[in-house]
Amino acid sequence: MRPSIPRPALRRPAVAVAVLSLALAACSSIDTPAGQSAATTAGNQTAKNGGTLVVALSDEPDALDPTTARTLVGRAVFTSICEKLYDINAKLDIIPQLAASMPETSADGKTVTIKLKTGVKFADGTAMDGAAVKTSLDRDLTLATSARKSDLASVQEVTVTDPGTVVLHLKSPFAPLVAQLADRAGMVMSPAALKSEGEDFGAKPVCVGPFKFQSRVAQDHIDVVKDPNYYDAANVKLDKVSYKIIADSTTRFNNLRSGDVQVLDAVAPTDVDSLQADSTLSLLTSDSLGYQGITVNIGNVNGVGKPAATLPAKLASTMATDPRVRQAFELSLDRDAINKVVFQGKFAPACGPISPDSPFSSDAAQVCTKHDPAAAKALLQQAGVQTPLRISMIVANTPDATRLGQAIQAQVKDGGFDLRLVPTEFASSLDQTDAGDYQMFQIGWSGRVDPDGNISNFVSSEGSQNNNGYSNSTVDTLIGQSQAKSDPAERAQLFGQVVTQLHKDLPIIYLYRLKNFTGVSKTVVGVQMYGDGLMRFAHAGFAG
Amino acid sequence: MGRYLIPRLVESVVTFVLVTIVVFIGVRALPGDPARALAGEESDPQQLAAIRHSFGLDQPVPLQYLHYVGNALHGDLGRSSRTGLPVASSIGHALPVTLQLSVFAIAIATLIGVGAGVVAAVRRRGPAEWAANSVALLGLSVPSFWLGLMGVLVFAIAYPILPASGFVSVFANPVESFRHLLMPAIVLGSGLAAVVMRQTRSAMIEALGTDYVRTAKAKGLGGVQVVVGHALRNSLIVVTTIVGLQLGGLISGAVITEQIFVLPGFGKLIIDAVFTRDYPMIQGVVLVTATAYIGINLLVDLLYSVIDPRVRVGGAVL
Repeated sequence: MRPSIPRPALRRPAVAVAVLSLALAACSSIDTPAGQSAATTAGNQTAKNGGTLVVALSDEPDALDPTTARTLVGRAVFTSICEKLYDINAKLDIIPQLAASMPETSADGKTVTIKLKTGVKFADGTAMDGAAVKTSLDRDLTLATSARKSDLASVQEVTVTDPGTVVLHLKSPFAPLVAQLADRAGMVMSPAALKSEGEDFGAKPVCVGPFKFQSRVAQDHIDVVKDPNYYDAANVKLDKVSYKIIADSTTRFNNLRSGDVQVLDAVAPTDVDSLQADSTLSLLTSDSLGYQGITVNIGNVNGVGKPAATLPAKLASTMATDPRVRQAFELSLDRDAINKVVFQGKFAPACGPISPDSPFSSDAAQVCTKHDPAAAKALLQQAGVQTPLRISMIVANTPDATRLGQAIQAQVKDGGFDLRLVPTEFASSLDQTDAGDYQMFQIGWSGRVDPDGNISNFVSSEGSQNNNGYSNSTVDTLIGQSQAKSDPAERAQLFGQVVTQLHKDLPIIYLYRLKNFTGVSKTVVGVQMYGDGLMRFAHAGFAG
Repeated sequence: MGRYLIPRLVESVVTFVLVTIVVFIGVRALPGDPARALAGEESDPQQLAAIRHSFGLDQPVPLQYLHYVGNALHGDLGRSSRTGLPVASSIGHALPVTLQLSVFAIAIATLIGVGAGVVAAVRRRGPAEWAANSVALLGLSVPSFWLGLMGVLVFAIAYPILPASGFVSVFANPVESFRHLLMPAIVLGSGLAAVVMRQTRSAMIEALGTDYVRTAKAKGLGGVQVVVGHALRNSLIVVTTIVGLQLGGLISGAVITEQIFVLPGFGKLIIDAVFTRDYPMIQGVVLVTATAYIGINLLVDLLYSVIDPRVRVGGAVL
């Protein structure tokens, strides 16, 4: 992974953008207010039938198997070939996709009944029914290498009432489940293909989608072609979508400008102005649901999942033991300046794990500490810390991540910190920080539609991704309550309380939120992009 | 000939075995865990253990090696831990791309390098030599990524006469293949052309001063015959060595060129494999590259004996 901007290897952008018009996009601003469409569907331009759309992806997806898939770039391809029980719309609301309606949840919250659309066929012509949904969910729950087990951890059993109805029996009420079913856990695979391909399903995936898998060459392309079996095939315009893997951001952009590709995922912030200046191209923007921040090692000594302990001498610091020191570090940061200097002002400062666009956001969730180096120094003095306090931070060894690190380094110096940067190759840094061999780590999270996915795994005591050894019973209780409640307003309030506590303890110091930039040639109309930041081509085509 | 080649064959086999061991241990010595690289954002220890188990990474390294070699001997190089696709088929797709690019680049480099080298040697201390030296210096000095990006900006964006990226096999459509490979081949071959030019010039200057060239001239042979038939032929042994060594280097050295022009060759394959700790893919690519190096070295040894019969030890006849 060679991120062009400091980010996790796998990004999940997210946005509140409606159906996007490429006719009007030239006028669209990248400063589109949250929740407002950056553009609308082409007014007087209609897409003609036929043609091959070439889409540049920033990275190589892993195996195209919804059960084992982990890369976010893979989701861009799944959008064309593997529909889900639920999807999201422009307002980040969850809506039925292969399901006929929203699920019915029992009063005790432990039984979730899902009605399915009828007459839907997989790309191989077999019927998509309750048995097929059960086969997929059971595989997600039981396959040794499944990456969906944690998504579906609340599910005890799946039963089929009739061909059009599936019932999920839960161990305990779990509100974020429907959001999980609007992602890879909700993708339904053809049982016939699962039987014939077994673990090689990912090499020839068969699901329900406007397009079906055709071919793949590693490090080059993934081709999908129009699926005549698709339930809405009449409205699919394109014959083919070819996803080309182009890792280098400059090369990607040049290929969009030369016309070799028509859609470009992940435009680098440095190319945004040039793209907007090009009259043949449109820019689509989306706000990420995730965040970038600094994870502080508070008590991870023996690895993720092991009980928190006191850090060994070489890592020991008041940064780990005294929340006031972490607060001082945060007071030293000028998030606006970081955004302007490192990212040309193209991203958004962030102070918490929940996007302001999220229906679960609240005032409490968006509280932000102001830049105040004098207060930082006073706090360090109060904590009895001798300044400058020497501390180290792992950053990715990419130019942008290094610049981000240097900007932070310069800022916290004024607050009384002597920050040493440790540029580390990404895969190595994950290994090192999982093992607890670090003091601070600049890393982010791609984000989930339900904020639970941005919070619980990272800061609850038993969180599968809690690599900082943070443990707080108040936070654990609040997270548990937010998972059991189904009322969005109640959940938003609980999330706000969690964020308030996190601001006191600061196991993660949130820095900024990415924007996802997608470049599209004006010869193409009807590309849709919603809150998950994924490009949808079901109704896209070349201008007629 | 046999006495000349058999020891080299044995050396090659031993080298090959050593390479596989070094690579196998080397990739495992890299910091970073392939399972963690594959898991990406997610660090659930149980899932990481399941991934390690599925790729046999929880077995002792010697056992993993034997297992790998056993499978490799049956033509099974395993599956990519990243894409799940068979390594052999990915290499099968990538190898022709890099080979066609390398051959094209070498052809261009040799043509330019030898031509400029001969001109510089024959027309010494004149504008021709100065021009050839300047081109060589530029070829060596300009980084290929800059040259490649400039090429794309000029010939694909400002004046769209060539595609910015992509690959078409020469066997599928020779004209399109030429259009797609021209820029990458010039970029990849520019450094080599400079080296070939310098070497050709030195060798030619030396050859032109020898007794046999003077004798040839005295016998009344024409300038072209002397330069091409006598001096150049004897200079080619140096050029062949350089080109031979460079071909092996090009197969893996095309990394940057392939990234710039989005050519799905070895370079792109190995870059991603290293970043994602895709052990089976790294091993497969290195195995094939090592084979190419060893094979090309053998071929160069063989060509020596064709070009210069004095190389044949013991006077063995071909």
